[in-house]
Amino acid sequence: MVGVIKIFQRLRYMKRMGLTHVDTRHEIHKIERHQDLEHYKDIIYQCGKCGTCRTVYQDADWAAVCPSGEFRKFESYYLGGKNLLTWGLTSGKLKWTEHLASIFYSCTVCMACLQQCQIPEIHTYAVEWLMAMREEAVKQGYGPMPEQKLYTEHTMVENNPYMEKHGDRLNWLPSHIKQTPDAKTAYYVGCTSSYREQNVAVATAEILNSLQVDFRIHPNESCCGSPVYMTGQTEKAKKIAEENVKMFKDAGIEKIITSCAGCYRTWKDTYPNKFGLNHGIEVKHLPEFLLDKLKNGELNFSKEFNMKITYHDPCHIGRHMGIYKPPRQVLEKIPGLELLEMKRNRHNAWCCGSGGGVRSAFKDLSAFAANERIEEAKETTAEAIVSCCPFCLNQFKANIKNNEIQALDLSEIVKQII
Amino acid sequence: MIDSKIIVELENVVGKKYVSDQPEIQFLYHYDFVTAEPEGICDISIMPNSAEEVQEIVKLANKHKIPVVPWVSGINFGSIATPRKGGIVVDLRRLNRVLEVNEDDMYAVIEGGTTWADLQGYLEKNHPGLRAGITWSPPGTGIVPSCLCYGMFDLGMLGGSGAEFINGLEVVLGSGDLVKVGSCSLSNYWYGRQPLPDLAGLFIGWEGSTGIVTKAAIKLWPKMPFREDFAALGLTIDKGVPVMLKLSKAGLGICDLVIVNFGWGSSVQELNEKNIAKDAKEANMPDFVGLITTQAYTEKQHEAQCEAIKEICKEGNLRVLSAQEGAEVITPPPMQLWGCWNFSRGGGGQWVGTYCSTRDIVKFYNLAREICLKHEKIPQFYSRILFGGHYVVARTNINFNKNNPEEIKTTRALLKEIHEEVQQLGGVVMYKPPKWAVQTYKNRTLPATTELIEKIKKLLDPNNIMNPGQGIGDD
Repeated sequence: MVGVIKIFQRLRYMKRMGLTHVDTRHEIHKIERHQDLEHYKDIIYQCGKCGTCRTVYQDADWAAVCPSGEFRKFESYYLGGKNLLTWGLTSGKLKWTEHLASIFYSCTVCMACLQQCQIPEIHTYAVEWLMAMREEAVKQGYGPMPEQKLYTEHTMVENNPYMEKHGDRLNWLPSHIKQTPDAKTAYYVGCTSSYREQNVAVATAEILNSLQVDFRIHPNESCCGSPVYMTGQTEKAKKIAEENVKMFKDAGIEKIITSCAGCYRTWKDTYPNKFGLNHGIEVKHLPEFLLDKLKNGELNFSKEFNMKITYHDPCHIGRHMGIYKPPRQVLEKIPGLELLEMKRNRHNAWCCGSGGGVRSAFKDLSAFAANERIEEAKETTAEAIVSCCPFCLNQFKANIKNNEIQALDLSEIVKQII
Repeated sequence: MIDSKIIVELENVVGKKYVSDQPEIQFLYHYDFVTAEPEGICDISIMPNSAEEVQEIVKLANKHKIPVVPWVSGINFGSIATPRKGGIVVDLRRLNRVLEVNEDDMYAVIEGGTTWADLQGYLEKNHPGLRAGITWSPPGTGIVPSCLCYGMFDLGMLGGSGAEFINGLEVVLGSGDLVKVGSCSLSNYWYGRQPLPDLAGLFIGWEGSTGIVTKAAIKLWPKMPFREDFAALGLTIDKGVPVMLKLSKAGLGICDLVIVNFGWGSSVQELNEKNIAKDAKEANMPDFVGLITTQAYTEKQHEAQCEAIKEICKEGNLRVLSAQEGAEVITPPPMQLWGCWNFSRGGGGQWVGTYCSTRDIVKFYNLAREICLKHEKIPQFYSRILFGGHYVVARTNINFNKNNPEEIKTTRALLKEIHEEVQQLGGVVMYKPPKWAVQTYKNRTLPATTELIEKIKKLLDPNNIMNPGQGIGDD
């Protein structure tokens, strides 16, 4: 009797997270990240297509979480469907087709679905086979999607996916920004801030100057490779990564601060863990960096910023990297600012719809996702939707109609009050 | 293969976006993906957005004599929604709206594709004082199919089986005609199945073979301010069952009473490292676990109820744990429970389920246990006492590796053996049965009963297009 009581008491029911303790199985099943399909084929079929992945689990009024599934509706577009299509493929019941590939590419890889599934291995690892399927699609000649192929070709030549010239990359840089030529810290601007959301780049550089941080921007900074990697083009992305790491190591960079969620995830996680590039460079996302400065007293907000805002968790720092608190902690320190949470937030946040190559290849799906998030932000009565990812910012700006709400980056707010 | 002209006709009904005959879409409808039942075949899937669209689809299917299979999530441990003879799968997921909640009469009018997550979310947001009875199936599964298949809810002690939670229905018949049954057929209220002849029975227990339910009214219940969950532990099932039956007849605000054995409990995750079911004897553990939920309106009432429950358990030599001591696992569903126990054992799960007399619980368990052990499967037993102790559901779950054809074959044989044996018990009738099991009713009913069932089926579905190859009316 005592034994069974102990067993009962070991059950870990977590409020709003269900019965499962989601991270207890790693050693038992010896599943590794970043492997090919073969590695995962014996666990994929455990999925029973039960639909738990479709809605927030026991929270947020069980709201929908999957942009792809909610837009296309058919089960194949939800995680359960993709799990079982993967099983169908690995067990020989299905064959590669253009349509099959397009189903897997109609996904922002936001990982909201994984958060809901209570089967530990699917919860923790499903993104690995979603990515492995993209890799396989490329190997089989069905991926990436035509628009993604175009931007990749451009990136391999001009180091950005925006069809811009590499030589124009630093055009955003105003003359008043002070750089330290031999600094060990680099501000890694990223393509979106360099070419599309230049306010973010300027604001970040000004913040660093205000805080008297010795930094420099590498004159040959290139795309981090995220848009190439996320569309299954691993070899090409690895080549980009190797060049970037060499360039920064050769320059003596020891620390990178970036204002881009995608660049952060790529440098911090993809380079070492997928490509085996243990570059040893410390990587900080801007809110993390600002929070450190706030904590050690080097940063104080002297002015008020009177606005009701809501914070949108970018997938690449949120679910991909587990950063939910630092941006909020920074925002909460800002005098006059009122932070209102959307119903779906943190690990349950609804994706803005731009990631995973979706914005280039599936514009209708991408706009659907953005509009859903904008509506949710408006429901909070916030005056602005604030994020710390220039790609999210750009997506919101492109989809907000009639100035119904503003879109801002955290850096743009901080710049105004220090 | 269905003529492309028919696909165009269907596209004209619901829009091109919501019709597909592509293999990568159909694949998800071919299988139940949980059970050991064979795969089916879906030719076209379609997602209507209104009862009128469902009518148009069924009329077209009649015109072309094509099978129609109503579908919400497609998982039910009996593969009842797996299309057996091809045709059109009518995926009802766009019909998932909660149309009305009547707080006075305590019911919700929902569309046919509404899931537990949909309803729970709606109630939490808009009517926090009310709650639905909910199954232990995952949140993405359908409410209406569960009610129509006599599903069992966590308010089963109050309301009985899922079928008894139904107040009224709106149904597209196999002919394409639309009918309403219950008070809603005479008024705007959906408070009950009175006063005309109770026609809900034309659709309950028929496994989608007489019509497609487009709306249903489901009973709701007040959410009480006080609630406690207990786990009662005992050495053997036969020692624990009488205590649970005593509790079922004692009132005490009990809204849910569940009996599981150690095999079932140990297959739920976190009970052991690999989530593999173990037999109590092998593990040297007590076999009986009773899960008891009580609720009350006042604190004093609640304390008295909890005290009495503990006392009855103590008299029966059961050890009681409160929610704080570990029994919180039965905190209100929906939850993804079975999704956890299928893992590590190959992803497959199926049961032999029965409704039975309270007298047969222990007999059922002993029979099923013996057969499971003979086939080297750990018995996983689960029983829910319903409607104040008037009857119970009992079932034995079997896990298997769904990627292993041999194990699937063995599992099928084992399920059939258990089914045949437990049917010999006096009061045992099938619960959510797959086709091979449901047809055995014909050996047990009066010939006139069988004839009546067949006449009704023919009347409601003259061209036999509704979920053919499944259910009671078609062999």
